[in-house]
Amino acid sequence: MKNILINLLKSILFLVLLIIILELITIMLLPKYSIKKYGFQNTVKYEILQEKPDTIDVIYLGDSLVYSSISPMEIWNQYGYTGFDCAKAAESIANTRKHLEVAIKHEHPKVVFFEANVLYRDPNKRPWYYRLKSEVFSVFAITKYHDNWKQIGIKKSKIISNVNKGYVYMTKLSKYKPIRKINNPKRLRPIPEGNIEELKKIVKICKDNNIKLVLINNPSNKSWIYSKHYATKKIAKEYNLEYIDLNLADDLKIDWTRETKDKGDHLNHSGAKKVSAYIGEYLFSLGLLEDHRNDNKYQEWNRAYKYYSEN
Amino acid sequence: MILSSSSTTKGLFDVLTGGEPLSYFNRIYLFLFLPLVVLIYNLTPKRFRPVILIIASFICFFMMSNKLIVFLILSILSIYLSGRLMNKVDDKTEKALKKCKKTEKKVVKEKYKKKKKIILVLTILINVAFLFYFKYLNFFAGNANIILKWLNIKYSFQILHHLAPIGISFYTLEALSYIIDVYNSKIKAETNLLKVTLFLSFFPQIMEGPIARYSDTAESLYSGIKVTYKSFCFGYQRILYGLFKKLVIANRLNILVKIIFNEYMNYSGLSVALGVIGYTIMLYMEFSGTMDIVLGSGEMFGVKIPENFRQPFFSKNISEFWTRWHISLGLWFKDYIFYPVSLSKPMKNLTVKARKKLGNHFGPLISGTVALFTVWFLNGLWHGAGWTYLFFGMYHFFMILMGNIFEPLIIKICQKLHIDRKKKFYRVFQSVKMTILVFIGELFFRAPTMKNAFEMLSRIFTKISFKTVKNGELLSLGLDIHDYIVLILAIIFIFVIGLLKEKGKNIREDISNKDIFTRWILYYALIVIIIVFGAYGIGYEPVEPIYADF
Amino acid sequence: MDRLKEILEELQPEVDYETCENLVDGRYLDSLTILSLISEIEDEFDVEIPTVEIIPANFNSVKNIWTLIEKMRED
Repeated sequence: MKNILINLLKSILFLVLLIIILELITIMLLPKYSIKKYGFQNTVKYEILQEKPDTIDVIYLGDSLVYSSISPMEIWNQYGYTGFDCAKAAESIANTRKHLEVAIKHEHPKVVFFEANVLYRDPNKRPWYYRLKSEVFSVFAITKYHDNWKQIGIKKSKIISNVNKGYVYMTKLSKYKPIRKINNPKRLRPIPEGNIEELKKIVKICKDNNIKLVLINNPSNKSWIYSKHYATKKIAKEYNLEYIDLNLADDLKIDWTRETKDKGDHLNHSGAKKVSAYIGEYLFSLGLLEDHRNDNKYQEWNRAYKYYSEN
Repeated sequence: MILSSSSTTKGLFDVLTGGEPLSYFNRIYLFLFLPLVVLIYNLTPKRFRPVILIIASFICFFMMSNKLIVFLILSILSIYLSGRLMNKVDDKTEKALKKCKKTEKKVVKEKYKKKKKIILVLTILINVAFLFYFKYLNFFAGNANIILKWLNIKYSFQILHHLAPIGISFYTLEALSYIIDVYNSKIKAETNLLKVTLFLSFFPQIMEGPIARYSDTAESLYSGIKVTYKSFCFGYQRILYGLFKKLVIANRLNILVKIIFNEYMNYSGLSVALGVIGYTIMLYMEFSGTMDIVLGSGEMFGVKIPENFRQPFFSKNISEFWTRWHISLGLWFKDYIFYPVSLSKPMKNLTVKARKKLGNHFGPLISGTVALFTVWFLNGLWHGAGWTYLFFGMYHFFMILMGNIFEPLIIKICQKLHIDRKKKFYRVFQSVKMTILVFIGELFFRAPTMKNAFEMLSRIFTKISFKTVKNGELLSLGLDIHDYIVLILAIIFIFVIGLLKEKGKNIREDISNKDIFTRWILYYALIVIIIVFGAYGIGYEPVEPIYADF
Repeated sequence: MDRLKEILEELQPEVDYETCENLVDGRYLDSLTILSLISEIEDEFDVEIPTVEIIPANFNSVKNIWTLIEKMRED
C-alpha cells in the first residue's frame, strides 16, 4: 500500500513537472509581446493575438465551417488583404462574441464575416468532449506550435507564429453524393433562446467600431438546409446586414465528389481555394481594403505565403 | 426530411483522433486506450484478466476493420477446432498402438498420420483462402483480364473493391504456425479456446506483428500478470524510443521520399539517390519504431513478444540481414517453408546425388536453391500482390544465391590478397556493400511500377551531378536546412545506440540503474525532443502506417 | 563425435568447435550450411532428422548436435 502511494506520487510529480517544462518551452516558441500583454492562456486560446497589432483587415468568425472553407493566405496571395479565421469547432455564439471582443482589442479589422450556422447551435447541446479537448489542448499547446523552433534565433519582428492564419489545411478526400433539399420559403429554422441577444451584441460591437459585418454561410451539404437560409435572410433584413449564402451562389460550384474531406460536411483544401477566391473577389468589390503585398510593413505575410504554398 | 442536420458536430471518436490514421502512433492508442486497458486490467481479478485483453483486442480490431472481425474469429475457430481434432486422433493412435501387435505398429501409425494430415491440409486451405480472397484475388483477376483482352476473349473477371481485415497477413501466418506445430507434435493442442483467441488477436500485435509462435507468447498472455509500476514505466520507456524514430525521423523523411518517388524525373541523380536511401531509413525507423511500441505494450502486461529487429545494418551480407530485419517473418519462412521444402524426400535424394558430383559446397546448394526460391517468391507475394513485390522477392533470392555461389571464391581471393575477413575494416566494407544492396531492393519495394524503379535506378547513375548541393535543389525537396540537421543528428543518435547494443551493452538496464534525477532528466529530454522536433501537426501530412497494409 | 567435428570443419573452417556454443545464434552456420550438415549426418550416421528437430537449440554446439544424433538413433 505504501509503495503504491509513493509510486502514485512519483507519477504525479513527473507529469506536473513535464507540464511545466512544456509550458515553458511553449512560451519560448510564441511571440513575446503577445504573452506579455495577454498572458499565456489567452495567447494560446485566441491565436489572432499572436499576430502583429493592427495588421489584420478581415476577421472570419464562426465554427469549423470557417476554418475549413476560408484560407486567408489564398486571399493574401491574390488581393493582398490580411485576414484571420477566429473559429473553433462547434463554437457557441457567446464564445464567438467573446472571440470578437478579444480580437478587436488587438486588431482593427474593417470587415467581419460571421458564419450564420452558429446562430442555430444550441449552446446547451454542445457535446462535452469539445470542451474537454480544448482544455487538454491548452495544456499541450506545444503540439501546435512546436515547429516554431525553426524560427528561434531570427529577429523578433520577423517571427511568423501562424502560417495558416487559423485555417486548417486538409487535402483528404472523402467522397459524397449531395442530397437534394426541400425548398420551402415558409419554413424557418427556429433560433435557440438567447442566441439573438448575442447576435445583437455582435452587431453593436461592429457598429461601435465602424466594422462592416457580413453574415455568411460557408458551403456544407450536411449542416446547411433551406430553413436556415430563409431564417438567416429574415434576420439579415431585420438588422440591415449583408448576407452571402455560398450554398446558393451560382458562380461558386462546389464539386462534392472531389472537394470534401468528410462526406459533405466540410470542404477540403481544393474546395477552400474556391471559397477563398470567391470571398477575395467580394472584398475587392467592396473597395474598402488596401493591397498590402508591396507594403514593407507586411513582408512577413509574403514569407508566410511561401511556407504555406510549400505545404 | 433532414431535420437533424449535424450542424458540424462530430462523434466523440472523430474528435479525439482528429481524423488521423489509426495506428499505434495515434495519441488515442498511446495515451488513452493503453492506460485505460492497463487500469481496468489491474483492477480485475487475475483469473479474468485475459478476458479483459481479449475484449480490448476485439474493440481495437473492430474499430479498424468493423464487420471483418468475423474472419479473425473464423481463423481462430478453425485452428482451435482442428487442433482439438488432432488431439483426438493422437489419443486414438495411442489406444490403437497399445492393442495392436508389434509388427502392425507402423501401419497403424501411418493410418492415423494420414488422418492428421487431412485435417492439417484443410485448415491451411481455409486460412490461406481467406488471405487469398482479400489480398490476391484482384491481382490475379486483373492480370488474367489483361491476358484475356490480349487473346481477344470478351470476358473479364470482376475486380472487387473491398478492404482486408487489418493484419490478416500477420495473424494468418501465426495461425498456420500454431496448427503446423500441433501437427508435428511440437506443441500440444490447446483445450482453452480463450487462450488461442488471445494468442491470435492480442491488440499490440494485430496490426504489424511480430508473427509470434504459440510457445512464445500464449502462456504469459494468459497468466494475467499484474502490470507493475516498473513494467509500466519500462513499457512507456520503450514506446518513447519508438515515437522518436517515427516522429522525428520517419515522418520527416516521408516528405522527401514522397516527392522523389512521385517526381523523380524532375530531380538529379543525387537527389534521387537521397530519396532511395531515405526510404530504406524511413522504413526501418517506421517499422522498428512500431515494434518498439508493440513490444513496449506487451512488456507492460508481462508478455515477452519476440524481437523483430536486431541492428540489421550491421549484417555481413543480405542473407544475414534477413535474419535481423523482420526476424519473425524470416524465421517463419525458414521453419515452415525452407526446411520442409529442402528436406522433403525428393529434395533429399537430389542432394545426395548432387553432392557426389558437385562436392560439399555446391551439392546441397541445389535443393537449397529450390527452397530459397520458394521462400523468396512467397516472401515477395506476402508483402503484396504486385509485380514490384515479386521482383523484390526475386532480387533477394538472386543476391543470396550469388553470395553463396561466390563465397568459396571470395574466401580464396581474400587469402591470396592476405585480407583477414575478421578485421574491422573488412567487416565495415561488408556492411556498406550489404546496405547498398538493401537500398536497391527497397527501391523496388516502394516504387509504384517496375518501369519507375528502373528509371530511378538509371537516373542515379547517369544524372548524377554535384551541382545539386550548390544550386539548392536539396532544399526544394520539402525539407529545409533545419530539417536536415535534425535528421542527421537523430540518425547518428540511433546509430550510436545500435552500435552500443551490437557491442552487447544493455542500455535500458544501464539507465534503470542510474539515480532518479539522471533518469528523469533523460526522460524529459527525450519527450521534449520528440514533441518539439517531431514532424507532425500543422505543415505535415499524416503518414499512414506502411506495414499495416501488408 | 570426432567424425562430426571433421564434417563441421570441412563445411565451415572459420569456427572453433571445441568452445563455440552459439553456432546458429551467432550465425556461424547459416541455413544452407545446415542443409549440407544434415545431409552429411544422415549419410554418415544413418539416421533421419525430421524438420521439427531443426531448431537453433539442437545445433548451437557440437555437443547438442551429437545429442540429437544419439536421440535419432534410438528412435
